[in-house]
Amino acid sequence: MPWDVLIFYLIATICTLSAIGVVAVNNPVHSGVFLVLCFLNIAAIFVMLGAEFLAVVQVIVYTGAILVLVLFVLMLVDPDDLPEFHTGRPVQRYVGLLLGALLLLEIGAVILNRTVTGTSGTDTAASIAAVGGNTQALGRTLYTDYLLAFEVVSLVLTVGVIGAIVLALPERLGAASPVTRRGTISLAHPKDTDAALSPGPAGETPMPARPAATVAQPGLATAGRQLIMTKDPDAYTTPGSRRS
Amino acid sequence: MGDLGVNHFLFLSAILFIIGMMGVLTRRNLLIIFMCVELMANAVNLSLVAFGWELNSLNGQGFAIFIIAIAAAEAAVGLAIIMALSRRQRTVDVDDIRALRD
Repeated sequence: MPWDVLIFYLIATICTLSAIGVVAVNNPVHSGVFLVLCFLNIAAIFVMLGAEFLAVVQVIVYTGAILVLVLFVLMLVDPDDLPEFHTGRPVQRYVGLLLGALLLLEIGAVILNRTVTGTSGTDTAASIAAVGGNTQALGRTLYTDYLLAFEVVSLVLTVGVIGAIVLALPERLGAASPVTRRGTISLAHPKDTDAALSPGPAGETPMPARPAATVAQPGLATAGRQLIMTKDPDAYTTPGSRRS
Repeated sequence: MGDLGVNHFLFLSAILFIIGMMGVLTRRNLLIIFMCVELMANAVNLSLVAFGWELNSLNGQGFAIFIIAIAAAEAAVGLAIIMALSRRQRTVDVDDIRALRD
């Protein structure tokens, strides 16, 4: 077996295993790391196919930019929001596996039975080398045949950046954080009159009425010393005299 | 076996695409689904470059460049949508996101 086939099988095996890891691993961060490994192997295969510029772009854009972005968003999303791995719904898993196997069979049959109908292009290895290399030849192709598409892609990137900024903004700039205030503790007003207080400028909400504190808790022991509360602390709250 | 033909690369591309598709079908975490979509786009890139390699054409690599550019824009917008969803709906579970449905 020639060396290039061996190397291809090595790269393809690592690539496939890491792709399976992306799908099957529980932790999303591990999925992202597996995806980095898979993309690096795809870049190596691009090198095998003579697309050196594309391999570099793959490493810079995919593993350098997109995956870092994904990992940042993973860190920003609250881990409590992440769903459990395959909780319930095993039907989806089996149907997905079945459909995937069917599609693999179909695509395999198509690949094995295909015939090339198009004429071969003119970008042979000799002509690419005559221009100066893969990057130069690809640049000539992009700026002659695909000039309009190239400009449209730049426009799409600009619109995408603006859309991402607009979507990621908070609803109102300077809006209050969604933390709900449970109430304030104030010793400067009479007992059980919290409900009558108007919400202050700081946004405190009245505390709901609660039952009186238990007076003595003999079981509450702290570090060998027993702490016994003999009086209700609320009884010592000074009525009146609100500080302004 | 034998010589390295384009079929090798096409089969690898098909396997990667189908693994990504299975991830989209079975996982419920929006971020993992997003990563699987990126994986599928890469598989398509691979088959485009392989066909261009077989036919001595640079058009496949040109298409792959465009796909990578569009995938970058898609990543920015998609991740912004995921962030906005997790901020407003407090979840990234695709089964719980049905604000457009009801």
